[in-house]
Amino acid sequence: MNPIFVLFKKGVLLFTRNKAAVIITFLVPIILIALFGFVFGLYKNVDSGPGGIPLAIVNLSTEPAATDLIAALKLEKSFRIIAETKNADGSMRPLTEADVRAAIHNNHYRFALILPADLVSDDALGIHLKFLSDPRNEIETQMVNGLLQKTIFSRVPQLLGQSLQHHSKKFLGDARFETFNRTIADTVAANYGGDREEIYQRLISGDFGFGSLTSSSKTTTASTAKPGDEKAAGAADIFSRIARIETEQVVGKQVSNPMAARLVGGYAIMFLLFALSGSASSLFEEKRSGIYQRILSAPVRLSHILWSRFLFGLALGTVQVSALFLAGNILFGLDLFSHAIPLLAVILSAAAACTAFGMLLAAVSTTPEMANGLATLLVLLMSAIGGAWFPVSMMPEFIQHFSKLTIVYWSVEGFASVLWAGQSLMEILPTVGILTGIAAGVMALAVWCFKRSAMFD
Amino acid sequence: MLTLRSVTKRYSTLTALDGVSLDIAPGEFFGLLGPNGAGKSTLMSLAAGLRSPDSGEVLLADGALSKANLTARHTLGLVPQTIALYTDLTAEQNLRIFGQLYGLGGRDLQTRIDEALESVQLADRRHSVVQTFSGGMQRRLNLVASLLHRPKLLLCDEPTVGIDPQSRNAIFDFLEKRNREGLTIIYSTHYMEEAERLCSRIGIIDHGKILALGSLDELLTQLPFEDEIVFPETPVTATFSAQLSAHGQLDTVDGRHRFRPRPGYPLSVFFATAEQSGIATRLFEIQRPSLEAVFLHLTGRKLRD
Repeated sequence: MNPIFVLFKKGVLLFTRNKAAVIITFLVPIILIALFGFVFGLYKNVDSGPGGIPLAIVNLSTEPAATDLIAALKLEKSFRIIAETKNADGSMRPLTEADVRAAIHNNHYRFALILPADLVSDDALGIHLKFLSDPRNEIETQMVNGLLQKTIFSRVPQLLGQSLQHHSKKFLGDARFETFNRTIADTVAANYGGDREEIYQRLISGDFGFGSLTSSSKTTTASTAKPGDEKAAGAADIFSRIARIETEQVVGKQVSNPMAARLVGGYAIMFLLFALSGSASSLFEEKRSGIYQRILSAPVRLSHILWSRFLFGLALGTVQVSALFLAGNILFGLDLFSHAIPLLAVILSAAAACTAFGMLLAAVSTTPEMANGLATLLVLLMSAIGGAWFPVSMMPEFIQHFSKLTIVYWSVEGFASVLWAGQSLMEILPTVGILTGIAAGVMALAVWCFKRSAMFD
Repeated sequence: MLTLRSVTKRYSTLTALDGVSLDIAPGEFFGLLGPNGAGKSTLMSLAAGLRSPDSGEVLLADGALSKANLTARHTLGLVPQTIALYTDLTAEQNLRIFGQLYGLGGRDLQTRIDEALESVQLADRRHSVVQTFSGGMQRRLNLVASLLHRPKLLLCDEPTVGIDPQSRNAIFDFLEKRNREGLTIIYSTHYMEEAERLCSRIGIIDHGKILALGSLDELLTQLPFEDEIVFPETPVTATFSAQLSAHGQLDTVDGRHRFRPRPGYPLSVFFATAEQSGIATRLFEIQRPSLEAVFLHLTGRKLRD
């Protein structure tokens, strides 16, 4: 046989025998592509796409347009509208501004739209809205802004009609206002047909028939207009003047470099997982060299070896993540020192959880290649669904349940809570507790598996 | 020093050790001879307390040896079959780590490290990274790393695998010296020459059982012959060798005849017959039978099969 084919065959044989290589080459990308498909709603017959970004709504307006606007927002699949909260007695009541501010501060949700009493006011032409946010995640925030613009601007003509009617009434007085509207209704009916009374009722409710305009132009908003599309940009500009949206960032106002505060934590934890998984696979090298035989023939217990590995991983992870944050401080001006204690608590607990994860991988694997393959698969998967790459809220609801089982999710939440929301040690304790619990549980499982594995024989 | 009483160890369906009983006296140089897979490494790991027997017991200086008994570990040292060293670290760093595991430290540990490196001619390489060492140097370091805490019993699991004859001899000299100083040594090997040279007593092990136990002389008495006479295979010796098969076992190996006479067959008769056949006596070489012959006799197969 030709040497080229002999060596080619050898390559195929070695590749197919290396399960890790097969996993990394085929399984990892397929799983990730499948996951991205779910996130971006690429499946036609499956419930995929974002599960709905929570958006709280406080409705202080009595205008019918407010109800229409809320109904329109509820129809938007990308939002999950929250309009009520529970009383102490379990009964439900509408949200107040104080409720949503507290909830945003506590990271129960990150966006709220307030429809104030002066949504459509007598004093100013146009509508008035208030938007509260915690933009700790850039992608999520941009998505919410875009969706809100689209929904609100599609309702602007109707809202504007109501505003015009309010102004007319105030300026003309009740009697002249009715005459004015009836004259218009008569003229429209005479020239274009239709029932005079129906046209009159539509006019006084602010419905000037602009809806048909917006149904074709509603996607031409500032967020979707193409560069150079002057007509669309002009329309968006007019709408933005008519719709006065008062925005307020409730959390993270003080952050000096928001982008760095968002990014560094997610990537730090992903690299930490890779580093500690690699470190744990070095257990196999020591086994292969027979060092464990030498060590365990000395006055050393298995638990000594495992705890030393755990401490080493904890120290390595802590130093690695601290170095990454320090680099963030030097390069991007990330404020670390005013959050040093809570940040250290999150780093320590995250490093502990990642170390335990690496040890569990080594305990359940029979070869270093298998450990590396599993590590690549699980680290990328956890990073994807845990929110290191894109917001968890963009994922389908069933995936969001799994997100909360990952170390990445709680670590990213912890870092964001400290660096973005400026939470104190006491406020961050629940997250630290969850990470520590994960570390303890996973480590216990790893020890159990090690005792049954051939690693230390 | 070390006693095994009816020790059995199984791995799934494989019985690695099957009711092995053994007594190793203080100061003894005991050889455990057997082919690969005979159960030598399992016996060594039980003797080192790395594994526990499924049945029977292992006693070290009258105390039961188990995973939990850490005190007993100070009495023994294990030289693993592999180079059980951190090859990215220097010779001295390795010895320091392994010494500290036994609770050694300070000036005492430094002195022991110096002595250990001196004893295996590695003092001038103390700061060299182990992976830059030759195979023989690594083996020597692997050996002394097990002696820093001055154990009373040294377990050597095939410590000369893959090294050159010169390094092997250096290790033999080192071990013999330590044995003369009172160190009890259990030495597992599948090289009969090593067992013959080093060991005052030898246990032949196969399929998890000790087949024979004793000094080299005692083991050789188990053979149905006392001597081996080797001579070249030539046309002249062809007729002569045919006459010999009636008086013992005759093999031909690598162009040489090997005659193992039955007990009681007088060598004078052999030489008289040779003379009558016109064969010069200088062609004959009388050899003492080897452990290989004992193993073949006991198992029906060669040691390296």
